[in-house]
Amino acid sequence: MGLPPSMQVEESEEGRILTISVGPQHPGSGHFRLVVKVDGDIIVGADPDPGYVHRGEEKMCEYRNYIQNIPHLERPMIADSCGILYPFCLGVEDIANIPVPERAKYIRVILAELNRCIFELYWLGIYGIFLGHSTMFMWPMGDRELLIDLAEAATGARVTHAYFVPGGVRNDLPENFKERAIRQLDYFKHRLDQYKDIFYNNPLFLDRTKGVGVLSAQDAINLGVTGPVLRASGVKHDIRKIEPYDVYDQLDFEAYSMNSGDSYARAYIPLLEMYESINIIKQCLEKMPSGSVRTKLGPNPRGAAGESFKRVEAGRGELAYYLVSDGTPKPYRVKLSVPSFRQIPAMPHLLKGAKLADMPAIYWSLNYWPVEADR
Amino acid sequence: MATVQEFSFAEFVKSILWLTFWILVIFTLIILPIIFIVLFYVPAPEIAGIEMNPYLLLTMLVNPEIGAPLINLTLDQPLFRVMVFPGFTFAALFATAIIFVERKFLAKMQVRVGPYYAGREVFWWARSLEGLLQMLADLLKLLGKEVILPSGADKPIFWAAPVVLVIASSALIAVIPAGPGWVIADIDVGLLVVFAILGFFPLTALLASWASNSKYPFIGGLRALHQMIAYEIPLILSVLGVVILSGQLNLSKIVAAQEPYWYILLLPIGAFVFFITALAELERVPFDLPEAESEIVAGWLTEYSGMSYGLIQLASYIKLYALAGLFVTLFLGGWMGPLPLAFLGPNAPSGVDMFGVELLTTQEAVGILWFVVKTFGISVLMLLPRGINPRIRIDILLRTGWAKLIALSFINIFIALALLYLGVAGPAGPVGVISP
Amino acid sequence: MSGASGMFKAIESGTKHLIIRRFTLRYPEQKLKFVGDGYQFDPKMGVGIAGYKGRHILYHDKCTGCQLCAIACEGIAEAIGMVKIDKTWKHNKKSIMPQIDYGKCVFCGLCVDACPFYALFMTDDYELAAYTKEHLIYTPDQLSIKPKYQGNVEIKIDDQGATHG
Repeated sequence: MGLPPSMQVEESEEGRILTISVGPQHPGSGHFRLVVKVDGDIIVGADPDPGYVHRGEEKMCEYRNYIQNIPHLERPMIADSCGILYPFCLGVEDIANIPVPERAKYIRVILAELNRCIFELYWLGIYGIFLGHSTMFMWPMGDRELLIDLAEAATGARVTHAYFVPGGVRNDLPENFKERAIRQLDYFKHRLDQYKDIFYNNPLFLDRTKGVGVLSAQDAINLGVTGPVLRASGVKHDIRKIEPYDVYDQLDFEAYSMNSGDSYARAYIPLLEMYESINIIKQCLEKMPSGSVRTKLGPNPRGAAGESFKRVEAGRGELAYYLVSDGTPKPYRVKLSVPSFRQIPAMPHLLKGAKLADMPAIYWSLNYWPVEADR
Repeated sequence: MATVQEFSFAEFVKSILWLTFWILVIFTLIILPIIFIVLFYVPAPEIAGIEMNPYLLLTMLVNPEIGAPLINLTLDQPLFRVMVFPGFTFAALFATAIIFVERKFLAKMQVRVGPYYAGREVFWWARSLEGLLQMLADLLKLLGKEVILPSGADKPIFWAAPVVLVIASSALIAVIPAGPGWVIADIDVGLLVVFAILGFFPLTALLASWASNSKYPFIGGLRALHQMIAYEIPLILSVLGVVILSGQLNLSKIVAAQEPYWYILLLPIGAFVFFITALAELERVPFDLPEAESEIVAGWLTEYSGMSYGLIQLASYIKLYALAGLFVTLFLGGWMGPLPLAFLGPNAPSGVDMFGVELLTTQEAVGILWFVVKTFGISVLMLLPRGINPRIRIDILLRTGWAKLIALSFINIFIALALLYLGVAGPAGPVGVISP
Repeated sequence: MSGASGMFKAIESGTKHLIIRRFTLRYPEQKLKFVGDGYQFDPKMGVGIAGYKGRHILYHDKCTGCQLCAIACEGIAEAIGMVKIDKTWKHNKKSIMPQIDYGKCVFCGLCVDACPFYALFMTDDYELAAYTKEHLIYTPDQLSIKPKYQGNVEIKIDDQGATHG
């Protein structure tokens, strides 16, 4: 009948299998459909069905020049808007040979790390509510306000930053940003310490996530997952260390990995990454030189015909852009390779054999963002 | 262009006149006759040999010499006890207060403000109340929503299930004593009645889910069935210790038997097991799998909307009051306060008076106060896990219920038997060691 | 039982939070203060000046009707259209000025980046709700009014928690 192999069940079992569509209108899925076949309480097959939010982002990029693409391209992943623009700016700078001032590189790293924390907190909040922990939804959302306040002081908008441009950033940081940032980041670190008692060491949370959805290192590499999911399975792979971009090679930070590969590890690594982000931001604030923050360009920057491939470690994993230019101000082809779409093959692999109650724990721990996966 | 109609004074005056005309017509022709008939011709209970009707009752109430004994008489009526206190009205008001307290309490724990704006602009002093009228707003909202019937649903059961839930929850409060002598039904097997009614709830949950004709309620209903049936047994076993020590099944006499020591001091494990299983019976976090929002939308009450949903929530919170009241009755000494009445001093009022007629004795008033305070405290304790714990999974739930909690209740029974044979407590009071 | 000690710590953590301050911003009684005076752009230096990206403000004595803001927005949101105005200015021979449709604007500020005459900036005002879609289209006259936004709180952190005050 054309069902994917993960969904085919034996003839004798047909009567007992219930097909549930954890569909787009479901508080547990986002704009994403997951068709699961359930035998009692055990999932025997899962078929992810993305595509509900596909808007043709990549095609629409071809009708806008590089500067007009900035607010357009930040929309697939609006909670991490600087992260999804980062490789685009790096790619255009590569094609058009635009130099970037040092101060702009430091500011970019600060904003990228702030956005990583903003996304990770949102993710953690939704993870809490998927497991029924309403406090773990409210606390990260409230603490996110501390970071969004900083981002709003720097860029002028709370979530839709549109801050990175090819050539640097659009405006310099305001005057008292450093004191404000250090004060709010110290309080944020104190808040992160509170999460451990009530969530990460809560015996009920441990029961629900330890040993659930175990992904071995070889399977993780074979399935092509990236980011915290890969690092939770024991593979030390962080783009910031392997191919450092901007000033990451001058900063001193650690990329964590854990060996267990279960949902608990996938939930714990973002917490460790947030501590590191605070560390990185403080280092950047210390080391930042003064100077200009943007290379002055015309309104229609263009480069020679050519292509470039740049990748970046966003909050969810490896985000890459493949840009092809034909010498005009509008790009010929923009291909986004998003981490959310690359985690999709892991879903049927992990869900098979799990209990139905583990489905939200596994699905959301894969760092899936439906809007980004569909572009 | 703009879809807002322009204001026309002529239309305004015309609509006001139309409204006044119809109000006058309906009032004169329909409402006034109804008022007269009800006031003068509906028979009321006989008082002092005079046949009463509501008109005479109202005039008498104004006169304090006759009004106060009338109120005293009303307080003894069984209908008052069922309808007002400690019956349905009290339970419903308590449930509403608990819902509001839950929202504010959870909000405070989650570093946020709960309901804040409702009622804020109504009165100048409402500014400090911070959302106290939110429950009224929610009630009005639920009343105004459409009750959607899913296609293929079993209509009679779909409509009846929320009502049966409210009836069953309200029946639970009929045996709980709220004060000395203030119990609706003083049955000698009161505790068994409670467990018999508690056995209703898995059935209604299953019927509600089955009648919805949809997959998510189906899964939720089966989970509710498994959970409630699995946790009824530790519930009953944990109470067995109390029955051994008091020798009674009548709840008022169990309260009276706790005079030397409250049973929570003698049987802490039983109290703990009762608390946990009560949380499971109430489907509160961490045991709210039947309503697990992220997996099965809303579980067995997915398809209920509008006032049906309101009735289910009311039933749920009346059950919370009932089980908290039961906990207080069985383990915390019911309406007995920790301080003896002599504490109030020699000038204590002899009771709650109204124009020289005693409505409640001091003991009754103090007892009711202590009961309400204790039940409120236990209800707040039952709300606490919602701010701290995630949801538990069904296999862990069943494993805990069938293995660990039953083991703990058996340990509790052995402790109760040991206390009985050592003579520390028992139906006959503290006597020495009983010789075998 | 390690589970019991974990549960006790969780209960302790939860109840500890009953005494710290509540963090919510009680809008409309409390409104956030913003840094700076709205997003501005300096075309000589080619870099912007930090500020909040709210409603635009158009300086009639500087706008020359060059349409660069409308051209910049064409690829983004198509929210700026040029309309004819009544007055004639010496520096605006064609007598056209931008009108902005806030039903379409995404508040990215690239129009401000495009203006070479210091005529279009953004302000702190974000309270732009209206009852009809036509009321969201701001004419050049409406855009020249300086908004009266009064922010009165910002995040304050003390040892009893963070709050807006």
